[in-house]
Formats: sequence, C-alpha cells, structure tokens
Amino acid sequence: MARFNHRTIIALLLLMAFVFTACAPTAPAETAQPADEGPGASGTIVVAMGAAPVSLDPADHRSRESETVIRNMFDGLVTRDTSSGVHMQLAESMDWADEQTLNVKLREGVKFHDGTEMTADDVVFTFERIINENAIEYPEPHTSPRKGLIAPLESIEKTGDYSVTMHFRGPWPPAMQLLVHQQIVPKAYIEKVGTEGFIAKPIGTGPFKFVSAQPGLEEVVLERFADYYGGSPDLTPVGPACVNQVVFRVIPEASTRVSALLAGEADIITNVPQDLIPNLEANENVQVKTAGGTQPKWLELNVHMAPFDDVNVRKAMNYAVDKDLIIEKIFGGRAVALPGPLSPYNNFVNKSLSPYPYDPAMATDLLKQAGWEDTDGDGILDKNGQPFTFTIDTLEDWRPLAEAVADMYRAIGIDANVRFWEYSVIKDQLMAGERQGYLDDWGDSAFDPVGHFEAKWHGFVADTPYGRGNFSTYSNDRVNELIEQGETTGDPAARQAIYDEAQQIVYDEAPAVFLILPEEVEAASASISNWSPASDSRENMHDVCKAE
Amino acid sequence: MRGIKILERVLGTIPIMFGVAIIVFFFIRLTPGDPVDIMMGQGGSISAGELENLREEFHLNEPLHIQLWYFLRDAAQGDLGYSYVLKQPVTALIGERLPATIELALGALIFSLLVAFPIGVISAVRQNSWLDRLSMSTAFLGISMPGFWLGIILILLFSVQLHWLPVQGRIKLGTGLEQHTGYFVLDSILTGNMEALKSSLLHLVLPSVTLGAPVAAVIARVLRSSMLETLRSDYVTLARSKGVAEWWVVIKHALRNAMIPTVTVVGLQVGILLGGNMVIETVFGWPGLGRMVVKAIFDRDFPLIQGAVMIYAFTFVMANLIVDVMYTYLNPRIRLG
Repeated sequence: MARFNHRTIIALLLLMAFVFTACAPTAPAETAQPADEGPGASGTIVVAMGAAPVSLDPADHRSRESETVIRNMFDGLVTRDTSSGVHMQLAESMDWADEQTLNVKLREGVKFHDGTEMTADDVVFTFERIINENAIEYPEPHTSPRKGLIAPLESIEKTGDYSVTMHFRGPWPPAMQLLVHQQIVPKAYIEKVGTEGFIAKPIGTGPFKFVSAQPGLEEVVLERFADYYGGSPDLTPVGPACVNQVVFRVIPEASTRVSALLAGEADIITNVPQDLIPNLEANENVQVKTAGGTQPKWLELNVHMAPFDDVNVRKAMNYAVDKDLIIEKIFGGRAVALPGPLSPYNNFVNKSLSPYPYDPAMATDLLKQAGWEDTDGDGILDKNGQPFTFTIDTLEDWRPLAEAVADMYRAIGIDANVRFWEYSVIKDQLMAGERQGYLDDWGDSAFDPVGHFEAKWHGFVADTPYGRGNFSTYSNDRVNELIEQGETTGDPAARQAIYDEAQQIVYDEAPAVFLILPEEVEAASASISNWSPASDSRENMHDVCKAE
Repeated sequence: MRGIKILERVLGTIPIMFGVAIIVFFFIRLTPGDPVDIMMGQGGSISAGELENLREEFHLNEPLHIQLWYFLRDAAQGDLGYSYVLKQPVTALIGERLPATIELALGALIFSLLVAFPIGVISAVRQNSWLDRLSMSTAFLGISMPGFWLGIILILLFSVQLHWLPVQGRIKLGTGLEQHTGYFVLDSILTGNMEALKSSLLHLVLPSVTLGAPVAAVIARVLRSSMLETLRSDYVTLARSKGVAEWWVVIKHALRNAMIPTVTVVGLQVGILLGGNMVIETVFGWPGLGRMVVKAIFDRDFPLIQGAVMIYAFTFVMANLIVDVMYTYLNPRIRLG
C-alpha cells in the first residue's frame, strides 16, 4: 500500500500560497521609517480614524476620510477654518468679474513636493480633470465623482502664468464654500506617471508630503514638507508644519480607538462615541474637544400618509419631544437643538426661528384638534376606532435617539416603536413614500443651503438634485420656487431673505420633527497642542504640535 | 495515482467556482440598494444625468444577463473587474489584503492547535478529573464568548492596563520592514529584520488568541470525545495488556486513530478562520480581506463582493481537499474518491 507522500501536501500548500499571492504587489514596498527631523520640527503624530480613505487622488473620491488625508498633502485655491470661514490658500485673490466669471490670481513661488512650481497650468489641468468626461484614465476611463460638487463650472482658462478665469453657467452663490473641496494637482507629474503612478505616490503643494501607504490605505504616512509656502496667511501660524511626521491609521472599532489613545498608540482619535467620553475625560493624559457638527438629525414624517397628512399632528410630534433632555442624557450636553430645517451653524439659517419647545400639553391639544383622543381608556390615542400606531424607521447608529423619541411619544398616548434598517435597503421605500417616519441626518458640511436644502425640502424631481433626499415627500410650490431662486441669487442679503422665508414655511408646515445636531467629538493625548477639531470633520495637522 | 486524483479534484473546483460566481452575481443584485446612489453620498449636489453616467460606466443600466455575460467573459480571462468605490482592479485589492488575513488565520490556527491538543488529550486520559472539568468548562466558555467582547477585554487588560501587547494593527511604525510577500512575519525573516519580526509577532498575539479561542474549544472537545472512544477500543486494551508504556498507547494507538474526526473539524475551521474573521479584523484594526468585504457589501460594490466570495469559496474547497488528502495519510485504507 502506497504510503502518503509528504511532498503532495507541501505541493498543495504551495499551490494555495501561489494562488493567494499571485496577485499581490510584487514591487517591494517599505513600511515607514521615522523621517529625518527638519529644523523646528519634531515628533510623529498618529491620527486614528474610523474608516479608510478610498483614494489619495483629490479628483477621485466622495469621502470625508479621503479629504482629511488629501488636504494635508494638497492645498486648494481656498480653505476653511475650523468653523465655516473661507480663506485664500493657493489663490492670492479672487474677484467676480460678473456673476458668472471668477478671476483668480494665484500665489507665486508655491512648490509641489517634487520641487516644481505651481502655475496656472496646474490649476486649469486640475479643474478640467474634474469637469471633463472620462478625464481620469485609470483603471478605466471615468469621470471624476467630484464633478457634482462643482457642477456649474463650465470652463476654466489660463490668463497668465499665475492667473486663471473660471466661467460658470449661471450665478453660483456657494462657489467659495464648495471650492474648498477641490485641491490642486501637478499637471506635468500626472501627465508623466499617469493616474496609476500618481495614486501610488501623490504629490501636492500641502504641508505634508507622501511617504508610504499600506494596502487599502489602512495606514498613510506623511512627512513634513520643509519648502511649504506656509498656507493661508489668515490662519496663523504660517510656515512649515510643526511636527515631522503624521500617520493616518484606520481603527474601525470605536472602543479600540479609545484603547489605542489610552495605550499611547494613537495621539488623536476621531468619532469618539458618546458613551466613552466620560472615561476619556476622567483621564488626565487625555483632552476631549468638540466642534459644531454638520449632520443635523430629523424625524421626517410622510406628509402623504395618515396621520401625518395633518399639519396639526406633525406640529404635535414636534412639541412632544423633549430635545433638552435628549441632549443632556444621550449626548452629554454635546449637541444643540435644531431651530428648524437648517443647522444653526449654516451661514443662511433663519435667526428668528427657535426650536419647537417641549410642550406635551400643547401636543395633546393639537392631536385633539386633529381628532386623536383616547376614547376607550386603553392609554392609546384613537380616531374613528383606529389606534395611533407609529413606526420610526431609522439606522442602528441612531438607536438611543430613536428609542428616546419613541418613548416620549408613548408618554402622550402614541403607540410608537422603532425599527432598524440598512440605509441602502430602506432608501427605495423612502423615496417611494412607503414609510411613515424616518429618523436620520443629511450632511451640511458646506454651511450653505445649496447641497442640502434642495435635497431635503424641495419636492422630488427625477434626474435633478431636487428632493433626492426628501423622505417626507413634502412639496410646497413657494418653497420650491424660493430654493431655486436661492441657488442663483448672488446678493447675500437678498439670498438671506429668500432662505428666511423658505425656512419659515418649512418650520410652520413641519414635514419633520426637527431634532438635534450632535457636535463632532474628538480626543487627543495631553502632549498634543494647537489642535482643534473642525466642523467639517477634517483633520488639519499643519498647526498641530507634539511635546516629546 | 494520488497525484492524479488530487489534480482531478483541483480541476473539479472549476465548475464549483462557476456556480458560486453565478449565485453570488444574482444574489448581490437581488439585495435592495443602488451602488451609485450609495457612492455619491449626501453632501454637495449631483449634476443631472451624473448618476445615469455612472450606471452606464458600471454597465448597471444593461439587462442582468448582459451584465452576467460581461462578468463571466472577463472572469474567464482572470479579470474580476474593478471596484466601483476604490477604483482599482479587484484582483489587486484582494491580492494585497489576503496576506494579512492568511497570516492572522495561521496565527489563530497555531494558537488553537497548541491549546486544543494538550487539553483534548489530557481531558480524555484523565476523564472526570478536576483537570478535565476545568478544561471542558473553559472550552465551553471559549465557544460561548463573542469575539468582539473577548477582543476588547484582552485589549483592555494586556494593552491598556499592562502595556504588554499592542492594541491594534500589524506592525509598529518605523521598523523599516521591506515588504516582499505581504506576510510580515515571513518578510521579517527573509530580510533578517529582527525588530520587525518581534513587532509583527507581538501584534499577532491578541487577534490570534481572540480568533483562535472558539476554534481551540471546538477542536479540544472533538478530540476529547474521539480519544475517549479510541481509548476504550480493543486494540488499546490489547496494547496495554502487551505491556506497552501508557504514554505510547495514548500517542501511538489512541491519538492517531482519534485524529480523523479531529482533522475534519480542523479543516472546516480553517475555512471559517479565513472567511469569518470580519469581526476580529474590525476590533483589532487588522487590514485584512474580511473588513474590505463587509464594507463592499454595505457599498454594494458588486465586483469586489463577487471576487472576494469566489476566493472564500476556493479556500473552503481547498481546505476540504487537504483534509481528504490527510485522511489517506492517517488511515491508509482510505482512498481519495
């Protein structure tokens, strides 16, 4: 009888190993070495993030994590401070020749990380790569997913070595806020190495240069760029970065991120969950900071489905929620109540609006006017023999908030319960108007109603941005008209008046329960200084220092 | 003969992979959710027709059978397409993630075998002793403890409190490891980088223990029960009556014959170790395949999901084949079918 041949097993194992590694990268990569310390710089800062960037190409992503890493390597024409202020960065000045034409004068003497100078050619190339169809050739020709962020840009032309002119299809008031999200890339370098070479070794004009990245961008190592021009003159300190090296590392699990900070493996951690904040605050080696958030939470009520087709019921739902209690108990005080359909930090918020107060008596009264009373004494309101039952659909992320809201509704006799979904699964049902009420948020990182207001409160129009996130199926002709006017009105005062009116109507018609806006919470080791979280969740490491 | 049989079995995986590919292709498309819509997120505006352009780019506007044809045609040429979200070829993405996953699975397997074999054998030999009861209770605990909980407890104890082991990741910064294969332990040995070797081994400990604990428990329990069976068989009694030393009876006569059910279980567990470690990869920030796949599922990144599931299927089939080959070694009367 044939004895087993050991070589067979070894051969099998080798076969498996071969198959598994056949497609692995063959060029030797190297994990990061601590860089030589430049003058005035010291230390390495490890930033732990919850998710990985999807790309290091400024033109080829739609993710906040990508932007966080990218904007430490690449500067844009303009940048934003930690709240909503926009400041010149690579642009020295910008002037609107008319409502559709923007003249940009570029800063001179700015160097890319390969030592070449940034000129108008690079700026034109950058924007053409974003707006032209199929301009990104790798891995297959495709159009930049960031085109939508600058959709009104029709063309850009070079008017001098350090000046360009941008032509827009029509007036575009949020231009400055949205230009913040586009970073300048080097034309000559990308033309030489292609997009594939560029994402393997990206080069920008930012305060840090690329050193290495692990597969999947799970770890990206950056090193101080000694020849940095200094950044926006408005945002001090101006000059090269304070630290020598920055490492962006992905730690998806929040409690592991907290552990990494406590164990000294991370210096700054993002997205700190509310329940872990007390542990961090109790630790003297840790500092916890917040910034105004950009993700307002609403409970959208389907205005075409009973009982929410009655405005009194929708208002009652707003009066029945004790937002202050939620902010205190669930968010530890780190949230603000929404004054209406816009975030209080939005540049065009209606300042005369204030949050619906908590008034259960008023809620009960409004429900009574709408015909909802507890006639059979079972503790649940009813109308025409039907009990008031209500399912709040939401995502697992908002469980405590949704359950608290449901509990407050039960307190006034509404049989409310909560059901959890995956967003991509429920989205189609929401758009089809099949759900009663949906609790979620919608990002507002540009601090402008555009990108936000038309998605949530304009009636749905297929193949346009209008109503693409409108889950209450709300549509009011006057509001629709105002939203469209607001998009093309350049004069800030006139624009404010337009949005004030639109917000007032939406507030009064209450297609949603305007809940709260949680703050961005981040934590850092006590050795970190000059650090503050930004509202748009970006981690700007330029000014941050670390004591050794 | 055996070589030919093995080759036959390897070739037999081709129709299996084909079947898996078709099933995954349809199932993932049956799941509600539009990849383009998810990809564009919320912020900013989307120009009219932009979503349509993306659907066209990914062929999502074509009928399903045409999409399937594109997929199978490209897959036959070794091209699994490119990820909608990460914009890179799926084969490259899987290839660069697999070493981390395999390294962790091997670490967990080694840990579980090192723990399970002594426990299984000793529990059987000293049945109903306090040692047996203790190890079987521990095994029960090992099966019951969810990985995310055990992982976090281990991190808090060994990393945050005692500072013995790193919290997360595969290697510490600044070891200067040159990567050739993507297996950090192997690369450290190949390049003679002792600091990197130490660091990568230390980083492997907690995730391997967490991933391996339930596996060790399963193996120990199976090994114990099959040992108990063989220890009561006639040939063991005969060996003892011939005066063979007890340890030799246990190792040579009982353990070897108790190995067949154990190897079956180990084989299945290897598949689970490779395919089911998403949770552990998340807890320990381990940059492996599992996490990428979970994200791909949430993103409805069809090509990436298809490619990864095919790799998982292939791994299961191969693990079973290796088990079958090992049977013939453990019991020469068994032949490969």
